[in-house]
Amino acid sequence: MQNLLKILLRYSNFLVFVLLEVAAFLLIVYNHAAPRSSVLSTANRMVAWQYETVSEITGYFHLRQQNDQLAMENASLRNQLAQAEGVEIIQYQSAKVVQMTTDRLHNYLTINCGTDDGIQRGQGVRNENGVVGVVRTVGTHYSVVMPIINTMMNLSCRFLKNDYIGTLQWDGKDSRFALLTDVAAHMVVNTGDTIVTSGLSPIFPEGIPVGIVESSVLHEGDSYYTIHIRLSTNFKRLKYVEVIHNADQIQIEELLDGLD
Amino acid sequence: MDWTKQIIRYAVVMVLQVLLFDQLQLLGVCHPYIYILCLMMMPITLPHISDMLIGATAGLIMDIFCNSLGVHTSACILLMYVRPYILSALINETDRLNEQLSLHSLGMEAMTKYVVILVLLHHLTVFMLAAWSWQHVGFVVLETLVSSLLTILVILGYNILKYR
Repeated sequence: MQNLLKILLRYSNFLVFVLLEVAAFLLIVYNHAAPRSSVLSTANRMVAWQYETVSEITGYFHLRQQNDQLAMENASLRNQLAQAEGVEIIQYQSAKVVQMTTDRLHNYLTINCGTDDGIQRGQGVRNENGVVGVVRTVGTHYSVVMPIINTMMNLSCRFLKNDYIGTLQWDGKDSRFALLTDVAAHMVVNTGDTIVTSGLSPIFPEGIPVGIVESSVLHEGDSYYTIHIRLSTNFKRLKYVEVIHNADQIQIEELLDGLD
Repeated sequence: MDWTKQIIRYAVVMVLQVLLFDQLQLLGVCHPYIYILCLMMMPITLPHISDMLIGATAGLIMDIFCNSLGVHTSACILLMYVRPYILSALINETDRLNEQLSLHSLGMEAMTKYVVILVLLHHLTVFMLAAWSWQHVGFVVLETLVSSLLTILVILGYNILKYR
């Protein structure tokens, strides 16, 4: 027993090192599986507030551009209003982007809405041009969104022309492009084909623009295409987004929970 | 050890890290983590275990800003664990250090080696853990090399300016 204690004391530094590293690894695993802690992320009020203050200051340099953008969006909204068909299941909550990265493998953005504004984990996020991402961590006033330009993200999409389904993934290289996988060789893919959300998951209603086909390659012997998609959303210029409140989503998730 | 000085330096470096170095968009592969300057230049007066705990804390704070819970924490614990061993391997008489790590006490050659080894180790760990798969290994290595270069320049520059 005494010998054991001696050994433990002798290697105490190493033991503490191993213990700390194990704890840190558990944090990583936990964070990949289900990141629910809003304090230990940019949804943390103090951290997000700091980013927000800085973006308020730097935001003045983009005012003119944003005015133009808002004017355009107003116009398109009015058009939509004119032809609205009373779809009340889906509501949009507008939010401001407080912080965002676009050049890492795992990019995230922080928005200034949280549980106090009715935001929930797993809700879809879009902007006027197309899909943005999915809410991942929710704090009381801020939330962290995983955008489609994150290598951990998969998005179910379909071709607008023939409803053929594929999966959108990001290769970590360029925030303007992503890859569409699972498109079999018998499909005819043309440059310029429009890709929209499939509506197969309750996160995004169907038909939100994702992007257009930039190039498609079918290597000899391959049974699936390699398709590059030019994304509709310009992530480098992202300032405002809309969180999707889908009344169906809650019902569908309740049903799925009931199945377990 | 002068705690006030250490904490003020940490605060200043973190502001620079979050507001300047995290916003850099050079080639998409340059993500320098200059905050480790504070960890690396800490005097070697504290027990080894306290060093590691301080490393864990600094790493956790950085993780909160990066949404990468655990990644910087593990890299900083590793950094603080190997630090004394690297130092004693680089210099024969550790007493000469007089508890202060500076260009004056280490000399240019040992200082450069110390900074290069630790920065490469830390950055490689961070980017490997952040990627969390072998799929992007090429990108991770490139990211490590480019980012480390900038971090090394900043840390060496800081030391040269301080003890000119």
